[in-house]
Amino acid sequence: MRIETIRTAGDRPAHIRHDDLISAKGVSVVIARQLILRNIDLSVPKGSFVSLIGPSGCGKSTLLKVLAGLVQPTQGSVSIAGLAPVEAARKRMIGLVFQDANLLPWKSAVDNASLLLGIADKSLSRSDLRARGQEMLELVGLGDSAHKRPNELSGGMRQRVAIARALALDPAVLLMDEPFGALDAITRDSMGQSLLEIWQRTGKTIVLVTHSIDEAIHLSRHVHVLGIKPGRITESLDIALPYPRDLSVTEDPEFVRLVVQLRTMLRSSHQPGGAS
Amino acid sequence: MSDQPITDLSEARLASNWSAATGSWLPAVILLLVTIVVWEAAVRIFAISTFIIPAPSEIAKSLVAQWGTLMQATLVTAGEILFGFLVSVVVGIAIALVIVRFDWLGRALYPLVVLFQNVPKVALAPIFILWFGYGLAPKIGLILVIAFFPVTLSMLAGMQSVDRSLLSLMNSVGASPTQILFRIRVPHSLPNLMAGTKIAATLSVIGAIVGEFAGASDGLGYVIQFASTQLDTALVFAALLLVSVLGIAFYYAAEILERIVVPWAPKFSQS
Repeated sequence: MRIETIRTAGDRPAHIRHDDLISAKGVSVVIARQLILRNIDLSVPKGSFVSLIGPSGCGKSTLLKVLAGLVQPTQGSVSIAGLAPVEAARKRMIGLVFQDANLLPWKSAVDNASLLLGIADKSLSRSDLRARGQEMLELVGLGDSAHKRPNELSGGMRQRVAIARALALDPAVLLMDEPFGALDAITRDSMGQSLLEIWQRTGKTIVLVTHSIDEAIHLSRHVHVLGIKPGRITESLDIALPYPRDLSVTEDPEFVRLVVQLRTMLRSSHQPGGAS
Repeated sequence: MSDQPITDLSEARLASNWSAATGSWLPAVILLLVTIVVWEAAVRIFAISTFIIPAPSEIAKSLVAQWGTLMQATLVTAGEILFGFLVSVVVGIAIALVIVRFDWLGRALYPLVVLFQNVPKVALAPIFILWFGYGLAPKIGLILVIAFFPVTLSMLAGMQSVDRSLLSLMNSVGASPTQILFRIRVPHSLPNLMAGTKIAATLSVIGAIVGEFAGASDGLGYVIQFASTQLDTALVFAALLLVSVLGIAFYYAAEILERIVVPWAPKFSQS
C-alpha cells in the first residue's frame, strides 16, 4: 500500500512510501535484432531524484527514451501517472534534456526557453510565452541573459536554457540524458548544484542518466546500476545522505563509502550477464 | 626606431588591424598591377597584333569609346542575371521544400533532379531559343536550369542535418511535420541555403552569357560575339571585363544578403 504525501524540501523519513510516478514493468527493447534492454523493472517515486548509471552501451539512454515515449518497448509496459509515455508527453508531463542543449541559434535565450511550450500550447500569446520563458530563465539563474543568442552563451549557460525549456512545460517529470556530459568539471559541479536547487524548489521528479559516480551520489535519492549485454538493472542503491546537499557532501565519510560501493557495483556490471 | 612600449592598446589594435587589412588585400592588388604592366609591355615589345591580344591600354580605349553601347548591354545582361537568379532561387527552394515535406513526392523527385543535373545544360540553349524566341524568356530558362540545383541541394542538406534529439524534443510535444519544417528545418537550413545562393549567383552570370551566345540582339554576350566576328578583340575584352564586374557584383550582393539573413551563422574568420 502506498501513501501519497506532499513532497517537502529536505529529507524524509524512510518509512513513508510514495506513489510511483513512473513505473516500467518487464521492459525489453530489441533494435536491429539486438537485445538492448532486458526485462527492466523500474519505479520512480513521485518527487524523487533517480539516477541511472552504467557503462557505455548498457542502454541507459535507450531506457530514458523508452520512458519518454521516443522508443517503443518490444515487450513490457511503461506508465507515467497511469498514462502511456507518448500520451504523457502530449500532455506536457515530460520535460527532456539531452547532452547537447540543441538550442535554435537564431532565437534568443528567452524564445528558446519557450519554444516547446509554444508548440504544445497554441493558445498562448507571444507575450505569455516570453513571460513564461523569462520566469524559467530566472529559475535556472539566467534572468539577465534572456536576449542573448546561444552563440553568446557558454556551454553551461546553454544547458541551463535547455533545462528552462523543459521546465517551461511544467512537466511532472524531468528526463535528463547526460545533461552535463559535455561540460568541464567545475561547470559540471555547479550545474549539478543548481539542478538540486531547482529540484527542491519545483518538486519535479527527476530521472538522470549519467556516467559520473560522484554526480549520481551527490544528486540523487536512488541510483540504479545498469549492466551490459544485455542492458539490465543489476543493482540499486539508496543514497541516504540528507538534503539539502551541497558540494561539501562530497567530503562526508558516508559519501566516500557510497562512492566505493557504487564503483564496486559498476565494476561487476561490466561483466556481460546471461541469465540472472 | 623607438623602443618605447606601446601603452595605448587601442592604437596597437588599430595598427594590427591596418596591417591585417593590407596584408590580405595588398598582395593581390600588387600582382594585378604587375600583370597589367607586364601584359602592356609584352604586347608592345613583341609587337603582338591587337586582333590577337589587345594591350590593356587598347582595352581601356575601347571601353571609353564604346561606353554607351557597353553600358546599355551591361544593363540588359544584369537584368537577365537578376531575374534569372531570383527565379532560380525561388524554384530551387520550392523543390527542396517539396522534397522534404512530402516524403513520397520527394523520393520520386529527387533522383530525377539529380539525373537532370547531369544533362549538359549549355546544350539546351538552342532548344530554349527554339521554344521561347530571342527575348528574355530563354535566358531566364537557361539560368534556371543551370542555377537552381545548388540552391536545392544546399537547402536540402541544411534541412536534413537538423539534430535528431531536437526533432525528438519537437515530436515529444506533438509538433506537426509542417511546424517542424517551418520552425526548425527551414531556418536551420538558411546558412547552407545562402552558400548555395552564392554559387547560384555565379552560375546565373554564366547562364545569361550562354543564353546570349545562343541567340540575342543585345547584352554583353551579344557584344562579345558581334565584336569577335568584327575582329574587334579589344571590345571583346572590354565586354569580358564588364561581365566579370557583374559576376563579382552579384557574388558580393549575395554575400551581403547572407549577412542580413543569417547573422548567427558561423563565418569564415578573416582575422
